[in-house]
Amino acid sequence: MEKTELTINGAKHVVQVDDDTPLLWILRDTLGLTGTKFGCGVGVCGACTVVENGQAVRSCQIPCSAAAGRNFTTIEGLSPNGSHPCQRAWLTEEVAQCGYCQAGMIMTACALLQENPNPSDEQIDHVMSDSVCRCGTYPRMRNAIRRAAEEMRAKNR
Amino acid sequence: MITSRRNFLKTAAFGSASLVIGFDGLSLLKGADAETNLFEPSNWIRVDADGAVSLTIGKCEMGQGVRTSLAMILAEELEADWTKIRLVQAKPRPGSDLGTGGSDSIASSWRPLRQAGAAAREMLITAAATRWKVDRASCSAARGEILHPPSNRRLEYGSLVSDAAKLQVPENPPLKNATDFKIIGQRTARIDGPDIVCGKARYGIDVKIPGMLYASLERPPFAGAKVKRMHEDKARAVHGVRSIIKLPRGIAIIADNTWAAIKGRTALAVEWDDPPKDAFDSDAHWKRLEAASHETRFITRDEKAPSGTAEVTKTIEAIYQYPFYAHAPVETMNCVADVRGNRCTIWAPTQAPERLQKEVAKLLGIGPTNVDVNITLIGGGFGRRLGVDYAIEAADISRAAQAPVQLLWSRVDDMKQGHFQAASVHYLSAGFDARGMPVSWKHTKAGSFHNISPLDPKEMRDTAWYQDWSWGCYDVPYNFPAIQTAYVPVDLTVKHGPWRSVFAPSSVFARECFIDEVAQARAADPLEFRLQLLKGADVIKAGSTTVDRRRLRRVLETVRDKSAWDHRPVSENRGRGVACNAYFGRTYIAYVVDVMTDHDNNVRVERVVAAVDCGRVVNPVGVEQQMESGIIWGISSAIKGEITFRGGAAQQGTFADFAVARMRDTPAIEVHIVGSDAPLPFGMGEPPVPPIVPAIANAVFAATGMRIRRLPIRP
Repeated sequence: MEKTELTINGAKHVVQVDDDTPLLWILRDTLGLTGTKFGCGVGVCGACTVVENGQAVRSCQIPCSAAAGRNFTTIEGLSPNGSHPCQRAWLTEEVAQCGYCQAGMIMTACALLQENPNPSDEQIDHVMSDSVCRCGTYPRMRNAIRRAAEEMRAKNR
Repeated sequence: MITSRRNFLKTAAFGSASLVIGFDGLSLLKGADAETNLFEPSNWIRVDADGAVSLTIGKCEMGQGVRTSLAMILAEELEADWTKIRLVQAKPRPGSDLGTGGSDSIASSWRPLRQAGAAAREMLITAAATRWKVDRASCSAARGEILHPPSNRRLEYGSLVSDAAKLQVPENPPLKNATDFKIIGQRTARIDGPDIVCGKARYGIDVKIPGMLYASLERPPFAGAKVKRMHEDKARAVHGVRSIIKLPRGIAIIADNTWAAIKGRTALAVEWDDPPKDAFDSDAHWKRLEAASHETRFITRDEKAPSGTAEVTKTIEAIYQYPFYAHAPVETMNCVADVRGNRCTIWAPTQAPERLQKEVAKLLGIGPTNVDVNITLIGGGFGRRLGVDYAIEAADISRAAQAPVQLLWSRVDDMKQGHFQAASVHYLSAGFDARGMPVSWKHTKAGSFHNISPLDPKEMRDTAWYQDWSWGCYDVPYNFPAIQTAYVPVDLTVKHGPWRSVFAPSSVFARECFIDEVAQARAADPLEFRLQLLKGADVIKAGSTTVDRRRLRRVLETVRDKSAWDHRPVSENRGRGVACNAYFGRTYIAYVVDVMTDHDNNVRVERVVAAVDCGRVVNPVGVEQQMESGIIWGISSAIKGEITFRGGAAQQGTFADFAVARMRDTPAIEVHIVGSDAPLPFGMGEPPVPPIVPAIANAVFAATGMRIRRLPIRP
């Protein structure tokens, strides 16, 4: 077990775990960052999504050996106090029900908006359909993403 | 119902300066219990000297918004400052009933919670009036303060609690008039919302206690399966694996962290023996169900045509098939158990804390009070967490490992070891007289009861019991001169249990599709035909259910008007369908659904216009959310995955082979909350589910001319 350095939410961490340990379990078990959720372990539900360089990535699919030296943002690091436009839009649109999948959804949406500040409904559907919400918060999520996009564009105008 | 907790307070480390009022569901708590100090309510409200109001409540939060709506009810009567309300999760105690299911939380908490809030308010008013030496009638409460308008004085609740706590709790405090409600009925943000969007909401899977180990459990794929081969040495060689323990429920891999437990299980590579030839197979089960649907075992409703009714000269009939489904919540089953000697502490996302406590105590051979159950937030319940199998497993593993353990189910475990929604087959027939008027209705459901907890065989001979298990069948709301409904129980060995809206979805699917067939036979408009059949007596009784046809007509008329029903699309691949239901005679819902089919007959739900009458609305946002949620749940069961069995085991194990609706499957949804004259609030977690599937199926018929009599709808 080698020591591995990785950056989470701007802070450097040195962890000593097996090389094949997925980032998901480093976050949850080793670093105690439980906002990122386990849902399937095979990259098809999106609950474990975190952001790297503006890209949404599935933390259950990134082994420690590959995560070394990289820089990830989790839901805990998205904003100091829930002030990210996506988080605020999520509250305004009353998206969450059980809330379990929502961290992954918010991180996916943030990455989408970073890449495409003005996504069409089809583009939103396309990207968000890689994730599962069993409570069916999709219509409100779609509205929240539109709202966050608008706010982010207004700010950058 | 309401008793002071002053005696209890003497022994509890609450500090002296709090006003505490306990209430226990609908059970009456006698004052004497308080005197003997036996009174330990599960639910109570507490107002602290700093003005903080806490509501300790047994209902669990699994997305239905109950923590918010219950807090609203309390805040309304207590005249509390909404921003100062905190929710605390109650624990099961002897005699408590904290289970959450049946869409009953709001209806059953409504009165006791209001009474408790009103009692506290009245005591605070008395305390203030006494201190000011004024007539208490000249005082009022608002936003966490008692006001005395004549002298323009005010006191915060916190400064009054020590005086108020010394007062007798009023037995029948006056409840507010609905016209004075300031919080109930207002769009209110979910109390847990900020925690959720910041990743701070803590679910069962997030529990971590000192010294905790992590476990994965390899279970037999079918009942009675034996291990043929496994590689214990390889599993033990996995770094971080502590032990491999054979238990009655499977083989536990115990490790220092989740990943080591997962890897250890993979390395163990258990091979189970082959299933016997007669192992459960869903195709064979379908045949049994269909054969059973032609019998008439338990008649759940039998209304003979009045004399003079014209004879049946033509009959139509159909068989409807409803499959197995998994719950598939995104948070898989999990539990932390810490067994130490004759005590056990549990942290579990559970809908059934008392059952959990009882079953774990039974396993460990200790008293239920020695099992301390902590209920966490739940990442999706849908009835699955009324089962307590995962907690029993965790307790067994903790006992064997002699350490606190978190058991986490894999997605495949969760899918394959579910408490599935049971398949059922429905036989329906309708008779017409010589003029083509419908005169008889028959609906027989062949299905299975839950087997996740033992049943009382005495009860199972009772007609009322079978009525309870066939909601949507025996309580058919339509007016036929002759009605016969029946239930035929069919043995089912695989685990099956409550699934969102329990027994209603299959029956309502069959009933609401077949009523469309009856309308078609009459060449009648399916929506107007339903309204015609809802004439006659406004209120009908069926078993223990009372159906108010006026409420059902109103939701149907609302979706007719709001959807512009008469101007529905007539293009070749588009269709519009309708369905409605009275859930247990409580919550009334109607849908109009537009679907589009492609060249390969894939169905896409484009638009849903919904109307709901759930009685008094506590939180309109919550009602809308549950409507959307139920609609999308229904889209999953209408056009996505089903569970099938071969060799005693479920064949599906992932979100790929048991598909669920995604955002791209989401239609435009319009929810209309219909003004209700029902004084009570009724549940919203389950009622939106049953009528959406038949509305989709009827829309597919309108688009393609093909009747959908088996779910899920396949191209």
